Amino acid sequence: MTEHSLWRLSRALHRAINDRHFDALAALLDDDIDWAIYGPIDMFPFLGARLGKEAVLDSVRQIANNVHIRKLERETLMLDESAAATMVRCAMTTQESEKPITARLAQFMQFRAGKLARLRILIDTFDLVEQTLGHPIDLPRFGSLA
Amino acid sequence: MIEHINKQRVRKMLEAHAAGDFDSVLAHCTDDVEHFASAPIDIFPHLGRRRGKDEVRQMWEAARSRYADVRHEIKTLICEGDQVAADLRIFLRKRDNDRIVQYDLAAFYTLRDGRISRIREIMDTFDLVQQVLECDLSRLLIAETARA
Repeated sequence: MTEHSLWRLSRALHRAINDRHFDALAALLDDDIDWAIYGPIDMFPFLGARLGKEAVLDSVRQIANNVHIRKLERETLMLDESAAATMVRCAMTTQESEKPITARLAQFMQFRAGKLARLRILIDTFDLVEQTLGHPIDLPRFGSLA
Repeated sequence: MIEHINKQRVRKMLEAHAAGDFDSVLAHCTDDVEHFASAPIDIFPHLGRRRGKDEVRQMWEAARSRYADVRHEIKTLICEGDQVAADLRIFLRKRDNDRIVQYDLAAFYTLRDGRISRIREIMDTFDLVQQVLECDLSRLLIAETARA
């Protein structure tokens, strides 16, 4: 039974972020990859949308410059023939101050010929920003509440 | 193919939810259905963890009292066994000023005996808060950090 592409990608991504070894990851990215990690790009420039392998590798290098993954706990996993969806609890520390940050990520991946062709990651970003700031966000008193 | 059937069940549930037909939505759910959306509950008091049909219905009705014209686009739907994951684009209209709110939502459904027993949602909450409050929070926070 052939290993699902998700597992190779997961190992390569982890190694790229923590050990700064990008070759294995580069080999698993489709040349025309469509990649997006939703979040405030003014505060976290490594988030956002990227098109193409080089742009994605550059983004992963920026992630590696900013965080170190301490623990990944896969809470939900669904594998399709050429796609995968996971919900992962990720414990990280910032490279700058070693501040611990925990985030739950939803990931949707599509593969083409064994390579990652599309990635979408959603995060509870309000919580992520508060953890990064180290305090609750003081919301302005204007606009209308939900 | 149970995967195909479960995908259809989730599609029907999403269509009924968009139409505001919560009786139909809840008919697709188990009595002890659990719903959890990761979101700041001081801004979205109707979200958080809800258990059972009554609590889940109250949450949806509270949301519907604030928003109208709810619709969704399914970008990806993946199923394995009794679990379905949906990558959704949601569109809402705020009732108080008619502004449109749109956001991406990851929804993970667990089914038991053909009914949804667990719903877990993750979304880009920072962007959602900015849209709901109609302000550029990033700029405010960056300015605040620069002043500190």
